Amino acid sequence: MAKPAVIVVGADKGGVGKTTVSRTVLDYFSANNVPTRAFDTESPRGTLKRFHPDITEIVDMTTTADQMKIFDTLNTAKASVTVIDVRAGLMSPALASLRDIGFLDAAKSGQITFAVFHILGPSIASLDEIAETANFMSGAKYFLVKNFINNTNFFEWDQATYNAYFRKIKDATEITIPKLNEMAYEQVEVSSVPFLKFVANKGHKNESANYSFVLRGYVRHWLANVWSEFDRIKLTDIVTSKEKASRASAK
Amino acid sequence: MRVENDGGEFFDILLDRDALSNISVMPRTPVYIICSPRPQVGKTLIARQLSEFLRLQRGDVLAFDVNIQEPSLVDYLPRLTETAEIDDTYGKMALMDRLIVDDGLAKVIDLGYHAFDEFFGMIAEIGFIKEAARSNVAPVVLFVADSDRVSTRGYHTLRETLPPNALVIVDNEYVLRGDLPETFMHGQLMRVAVLPAFLKSYIERLTFSFTNYLRTEKDTSTELHQWIRSNYFSFREIEQRLAQQQD
Repeated sequence: MAKPAVIVVGADKGGVGKTTVSRTVLDYFSANNVPTRAFDTESPRGTLKRFHPDITEIVDMTTTADQMKIFDTLNTAKASVTVIDVRAGLMSPALASLRDIGFLDAAKSGQITFAVFHILGPSIASLDEIAETANFMSGAKYFLVKNFINNTNFFEWDQATYNAYFRKIKDATEITIPKLNEMAYEQVEVSSVPFLKFVANKGHKNESANYSFVLRGYVRHWLANVWSEFDRIKLTDIVTSKEKASRASAK
Repeated sequence: MRVENDGGEFFDILLDRDALSNISVMPRTPVYIICSPRPQVGKTLIARQLSEFLRLQRGDVLAFDVNIQEPSLVDYLPRLTETAEIDDTYGKMALMDRLIVDDGLAKVIDLGYHAFDEFFGMIAEIGFIKEAARSNVAPVVLFVADSDRVSTRGYHTLRETLPPNALVIVDNEYVLRGDLPETFMHGQLMRVAVLPAFLKSYIERLTFSFTNYLRTEKDTSTELHQWIRSNYFSFREIEQRLAQQQD
């Protein structure tokens, strides 16, 4: 049996594409038949829930009750993978909470697989975020995500400075989310369906839709590129590692 | 807009109506793309003739003119032709979303040289060929060859993008003036003979119609009559090959 896996997608800055990346991760697991559930911490609106209503629950991660809802059910939930879309400004407090409840220690001892997708923003503040987040990362798979989806002028930092921060974090891995055609992105937003369903020209309940073939083509091509990044980091292998491996690492 | 069926024996042979009516499965909707990365190689001339042939054979055709910088198909066949642009996403959607529809209506695209890279880059990115196969649409690219490096590069792009049976090389004698370079000697070939200058001027008149000429000119031995017939037979062969691929 696969041990529980938790993937936190977050950033301290808003508008950098956390929910978009979470959506691609959920689509990726869906396509690879990995049972997944998701928590949307953007209470009470819940953007992620709008796209993946069947598997997403809106929670307030600052409350103990909702923390219990997520972490006390890791071993009992049908889905072995839990994706948490952490809203802007909550990344560092959330990681601190995880440390306080002993979750990070459990990850370190191999009882739980823990991965963080840290979505980087365009400002130098993101570099400080990396340093801050890195303090919590022992025992976790740490991915620094450069999100170019909106073609913003991200990452115009001094490369040497960025590299200096990057080197501080042991085993951090970079992921690049490429740009998606603006109209295609907008159309998926308006449709409020997962990227996969948009590509398949389906609505929420799998009914036939009438999305533009051209826009579906752009999304298909873009999603394939994003998934090739997930393939590169062997994301499926990471979240489906077995208990046996965890015991070995515990030893 | 349907053409009057003249019922003539000549047109029956030319259009091979019996063979086409014997196709048992639902015929695919053809999309012909006439292209070259070079200007002035006869793309619009081929597109004009093909549009008239398809109208004669199938009763109707829809042509798209993506050719704003050269002599324009829309000037010759304004009632059959719409202009299209692929400079932005709106334009691409307006064109491609119609090309992917299996509505039985043959389409012809006169693709300007300036749009060659953009169009085929988009085709590859949005997965047009695969989606066309799923949608019962048959794209056929008629590539007008030239002997320069730009044409060779364009040809290689097409070979990487398209299945072999979707690519036809057009050897326009007026352009190449000699043997077709060996680079292009793969797959299907359509030869277009050179016309004398006075006939070339004659067919370039905006009011000239190839089909009307065949109908009205009683002397079938004229050079122009033979030239049009030869090209129409070539188009018929391409259509037949499409039908055979389907069988």
